[in-house]
Amino acid sequence: MVEAATGPVADPARGARPIDRIGLAMRASHLLALLLLAGCLVFALVAWRTGDVFYLRLATEALIFAGLALSVDILLGYTGLLSLGQALYFGLGAYMSAVLLRSGWSFAGVMAAVLLGATVVSFLGGLIVSRVRGVYFALITFGMAQVAAKAVYNTRELGASDGLIGVPIVKIALGFTTVSSDSPIGFFLFVLGFMVLLYLALSYLLDTPFGRILIAIRSNERRVPFLGYQPQRARLCAYVAAGIVAALSGALYPMLRGFVSPELMSFTTSGNAVITVVTGGAGTLVGALYGSVILTALRSVIGSWTSHHLIVIGLIFMAVVIFFPRGLIGVIRARLESWLVRRRTR
Amino acid sequence: MTRITTTTLALLASVALAPLALAQQGPIKIGVNTPLSGTYAPIGQQVRWGLELAAKDVNAAGGIAGRQVQLIFEDEEANPAVAVQKADKLFQVDKVDFMTGTVNSGSTLAVGQIAERAGKLVATTVSFADSITGDRCSPNVFRVNARAEQQSSALAAWLTKEKPNPKVYFLGPDYEMGRSTVAAFQAGIKARGGSVLGEVFAPLDSKDYSQYFGQIRAARPQVLYTSVAGNDTVRLLTQMQEFGLLSNLQVVGASGTLTSQNIGAIGSAADNFATGVGYSPQIDTPENKAFVSKFQAAYKADPDLYGADSYGLVFFYKAAVEKAGSTETDKVREAMRGLEWDTPQGRKTMRAGDHQALQTMYVVRVEKQKFNIVGQVPATEAVGPDLCTKF
Repeated sequence: MVEAATGPVADPARGARPIDRIGLAMRASHLLALLLLAGCLVFALVAWRTGDVFYLRLATEALIFAGLALSVDILLGYTGLLSLGQALYFGLGAYMSAVLLRSGWSFAGVMAAVLLGATVVSFLGGLIVSRVRGVYFALITFGMAQVAAKAVYNTRELGASDGLIGVPIVKIALGFTTVSSDSPIGFFLFVLGFMVLLYLALSYLLDTPFGRILIAIRSNERRVPFLGYQPQRARLCAYVAAGIVAALSGALYPMLRGFVSPELMSFTTSGNAVITVVTGGAGTLVGALYGSVILTALRSVIGSWTSHHLIVIGLIFMAVVIFFPRGLIGVIRARLESWLVRRRTR
Repeated sequence: MTRITTTTLALLASVALAPLALAQQGPIKIGVNTPLSGTYAPIGQQVRWGLELAAKDVNAAGGIAGRQVQLIFEDEEANPAVAVQKADKLFQVDKVDFMTGTVNSGSTLAVGQIAERAGKLVATTVSFADSITGDRCSPNVFRVNARAEQQSSALAAWLTKEKPNPKVYFLGPDYEMGRSTVAAFQAGIKARGGSVLGEVFAPLDSKDYSQYFGQIRAARPQVLYTSVAGNDTVRLLTQMQEFGLLSNLQVVGASGTLTSQNIGAIGSAADNFATGVGYSPQIDTPENKAFVSKFQAAYKADPDLYGADSYGLVFFYKAAVEKAGSTETDKVREAMRGLEWDTPQGRKTMRAGDHQALQTMYVVRVEKQKFNIVGQVPATEAVGPDLCTKF
C-alpha cells in the first residue's frame, strides 16, 4: 500500500550497492518528525507568551490521540491489519489511570500498572485475534471493543454511563523538574516529549528484523512461512505492541481532562483513529502524528463554525482517500525520499 | 487645596474606573454547549429555541442589569470528551460569563468539573441524573430542571393518592439506568404504603415481551411501572394490549418512556399511561399560555420541558446577576443560592444546600394521544432531602 518496492533495490548509479528503501523511508519520516517537533515548540513558545490555555490543552489532546493513531498505524500501516477496536486499549489505559489516580497513586505507579495491565489484556486479546486476518480481524476487534464498552457502561463502580469525574491533578516527577498536569504549557511539553519517545521506540522496533517481518506479512503473508517465520506469532506481537501504545496514551487523557467516560472506548474513538492514520498516511508513523494534529484542529475550527462539521470532515476524508491514497504525509514523504536518494547519489 | 485634591481624586478615579465602566458596557456572554448534531440533536434544538427566545425577551426589556445578552453556541455531540473541549474554549477563548446546554449527565458532570477549575458557573436545563445535585454535586453547578427523583416522587405521590396502598409490578430495561429508576420508584412506593409484587428486567431492544406476561398476570398487580424507552415502549405496550393485559391495570412510567416521538406508533395502547414531569404545554396559567404562543409563533413547534426549562434559565441568571450587582462567580453564586424566580412553569426556588431547583411537579396521563394534566404535586413533596455534602 505504501512503498512499491519493499526489498533492497539495486541502484544503477552506485553499481551493485543496494539502497535500503525501508531505511530510507524511515529517515524521511524522522525528518518530518523533527519538523513537527520544531513546529510544536514554536507553537508552545507563542502560546506561552500570549498566556493561552485553550489551544495548548487542545494540542495536548491532539497529541494524546496521536498516540492512539500510532498504535493503529502499527497494525494498519505495517502489518496490514485493520483494527476497528483500538479504543479498547485506549479506554483501558484511561480507566486504569483514572481509578488509580483517584486512589492516590503516583504518576510512575500508574504508568507501570497501565503498562502491565495493557500487556496482559492485549496478549489475551491477541491470542484470539491473531488467528484471523482481513475482515474477520476487523470484525473481532470491533466486537471486543464494543463488549468492553458495554461492560463499562453498565458497571456502577466505574461510573456507568456517566463516567468517572474527580481525577486529581497529578504531579509528574522528572528528576530535574516536576510537571503538574494542570499547567497547560508544562503538560503539553511533557506529552510532546512522551510522544516523541513513543515514536522513537516504535521506529526503532519497526526497523528491526521484527519490523521487516510485519512488512512482509502486509505484502504477502503466504510467503512468510517459506522464509522461516510464523506470521501468527508476529501478528500477536504487533497486536500487543499496539495495545501497549494505545493504553499508555489513554492513561494521559484523564490527567489532562480530569475525567473518563465510556465514549472513550466507543467505536467513534476507534474510527477516528483509523481516519487519522489514513488521512495522515498509513505506514509512515509520523503521518499518524500529523493526521491527529491536523484533524483535531480542523474539528475544533469547523465545529465552532457550523453544526454540520461531520459532513465537512467526511468530505475532506473522502477527498484525501481519492486524491492522496497514500495520505497527506505519504505523498510528502515520497518526495522527500527521492530527494534523499538524489542527494546520496550526487 | 481641598478642592484641588478632590478634583484630582475624582479625575484619578474616573481614569481608573474607565476601563471597568467600558467592560460593563459590553454584552453578557452565555455559552451554550449543547448537542446540535447526532441522536440528541432534537433536545439540543429545544434548548437552543428556549434560550434564544428568552434572550430575545430579556434584551427587548433592557437586558441583564442594562447589558445585552449574547449566546455563543458550541456543538458538544452529547459526548463528554467533546463537551469538556468546547467548555474549555467557551471559558478561555470566548470568555463567557456563564455556561449551560449540556444534555447527557456525563457531559454535565465533566463540564461541571471544568467550571470548577476555571472558576466559572454552569447550569443544566436537561440532565436528570440525581447524582449531579446529589453525591457528585459541585459548588459551581446548578440545575434548574427537575431531577429523576422529583419526577418519580411526584408520580408516586399521585399514584398513592389515586389508589391507596397500590400493589405494583416493575418491568425495567436491563441496564444500569433502568435498574436505578426502578429501584428509586420502589423506594418511593414503599415509603407511601404501596407494595412491590415483583420485578423483571428485559434486555434493551427486546422484540418480544410476552415471555414476561405470565409472571405479571400471576402476580395480579394493580399498577405496572416501566422505565423502558423509545421503540421498546412501542413493543411493550402494543403487545400488552394484544394480550389483554391493559384492562384493569394502571401503567405508569418514567418521563422518557412515552414521548411525542413514539406515542403515534403506540396508538390506543398508550391511553391511560401516566408519568411525572416538570412541565407540560397545557399548564393553565397566563404566563405559560403567553410563553407557548410566543414559542409557537417563533418556531412553529410546541415547547417541551427542555425548551421551557432553558427559557426559564435565562431569567434565573438575570435575577441572580441583578441581585449580585456583578457577574463575578462568587457573588453570583451567593445570589443564586436560595433565589426564587418566575418561569412559565411557575415560581421556582434554587435550594442553597445542593443547587437543585424546587418546583411544582405535574402528573400527566395520556388520553387519545394527548398528555393531559391530571395532578399536581407541590415542590416540597416531590423533592427528597439534600444529600450534597461538598459545600
